[in-house]
Amino acid sequence: MRRPLAAIVAAALVFVQAPPAYAYLKFGVTVGGQAITLKWTQMPVRYSISNQGITDVSVADFQGRRRPRVRDVAGGADRVNLVSVRRDYRRAARAGRRTVDAGVSEPPGARSRPGVDQLSRRSGERGPPRVDIFFNTAFQWSVAPAGATGRFDLESTALHEIGHLSGLGHSALGETELRDGGGRRVLAAEAVMFPIAFSAGSVTGRTLKADDITGITDLYPEADFARTSGSVSGRVTKEGQPIFGAHIVAFDVARGTSVGGFTLTADGRFSIGSMTPGIYILRAEPIDDADVDSFFDASRNTDIDFRVMFVDRVVVVPKGGDSGDVAVAVVRK
Amino acid sequence: MKRSTLVAIGLWILAVGSSRVAAAQSVPAAEPGRLEVSVGALWIGQLALGSNDANETTPTGGNLKIFSTSTDLGSVAGLEARMGVRLLQSLEAEVEGSYGTPQLKVTITGDIENAPDVTATESVQQFTLGAGVMWYLPVHAARARLVPFVSGGVGHLRQVHEERTSLETGLYYYVGGGAKWLLFARPRGFVNAIGLRVDARAIVRTKGVAFDDGGHTSPAIGASAFVRF
Repeated sequence: MRRPLAAIVAAALVFVQAPPAYAYLKFGVTVGGQAITLKWTQMPVRYSISNQGITDVSVADFQGRRRPRVRDVAGGADRVNLVSVRRDYRRAARAGRRTVDAGVSEPPGARSRPGVDQLSRRSGERGPPRVDIFFNTAFQWSVAPAGATGRFDLESTALHEIGHLSGLGHSALGETELRDGGGRRVLAAEAVMFPIAFSAGSVTGRTLKADDITGITDLYPEADFARTSGSVSGRVTKEGQPIFGAHIVAFDVARGTSVGGFTLTADGRFSIGSMTPGIYILRAEPIDDADVDSFFDASRNTDIDFRVMFVDRVVVVPKGGDSGDVAVAVVRK
Repeated sequence: MKRSTLVAIGLWILAVGSSRVAAAQSVPAAEPGRLEVSVGALWIGQLALGSNDANETTPTGGNLKIFSTSTDLGSVAGLEARMGVRLLQSLEAEVEGSYGTPQLKVTITGDIENAPDVTATESVQQFTLGAGVMWYLPVHAARARLVPFVSGGVGHLRQVHEERTSLETGLYYYVGGGAKWLLFARPRGFVNAIGLRVDARAIVRTKGVAFDDGGHTSPAIGASAFVRF
């Protein structure tokens, strides 16, 4: 069996306290009832690459000798204005022992997914933990500029996984249909961070969307970004009771872009930050285009038994402020 | 052309055309230096701000429409006040301000998951402050009670969203015309004349709540009472 090509990333990864926003699924933990987001605090994030016998994509593809260059991929977030995250390529040989895992094997769960991130710390290892990105060798890969029939686009998957290692969870901005043989087929998506990959041959996932940009900007804002961006917040209820896991889509009617968030608190609150100021409408929908566990732990009581609806008021996201509380009352299916 | 625009133009033509009929009713002519104050109502027609679809990208790079939106700033009836000074017998400079609360409306249709169509709304407080000139047309007899005019001006536009969370600013321009009907006039005294004023305008608003920086034109009709000092 071929072993995976692994992009191994290590840097100072620490827990930092997040602002009180409950949107853009982020990696983190809850401590004392407060959401603590996991994000990089030391820049640049250094990464290295190892090739464990894979034949269709070489280390050279990642090092920039052939397209796509991983520096472009890793720098995907850098193409976003106002985001301060920076990454820095380091060759494996220079990266030091802890950044190279020459004997890496496929992580659990990787067989059904094109790529997977794994946060780990070796026994006895000090310092920051390591994030490994695995590209599953059970899939055929392509680095062709226009994609290749029957092969998954490496750049698209890398961009998605780099979103995870940057601290982003999944976005629900996508539409799928069930396959006859099981699983889902993506009809369309408006976020690189949608949990299900586009079909083989597609290179659509190489382009960051408004939802990705807003999410990564929320994690790594420039110092004065809070003054120029805004947020929308509110609460979703069903028959008077708060619901968890409702997907809220804010659509910018002037620019035609969408960003999504979720109700992530026990009292059904949502707050989407780092938004472009403007005029928005809100759409509330249940998670029904991907498995709920792509977004939340199975232990959470995610409510998917309600109808899709629009809020009947215009929501204005002001510069440097919040929309004010938006009440969303959904009804049972 | 919209029906409301046609109505406004018709009213203006009617006012200008009827001036000759009223010419026989002789009143004293206004002298330069006279001050005129008017207060009344202003109706501004609906403004289409634009349409946008919420799309998602398909595997081939195409668009899958999730729903459609169309945004308008609704028509509004508000208050208007003016103060003018007669520069020449046929030319007047004036400053004007207005206030109204149009509805910002986003009509949402065609949801892919059959969400009911909705018109999302909010109330916008709209303030204008500007200056303009009026030229009294020579088609009227020098001492007629009905005095037609054309006018034009420019001003500052402020639009405040309902929750007072955001303030949008812009400019407005207008051209139009109408007529003044003198109810009372005398050659001397503190109060020189009292009358009614009706005019139709094309108002071009830029920026504010609009999606772009371009101009968006709406018809407008004003009716007010004035006192000339």
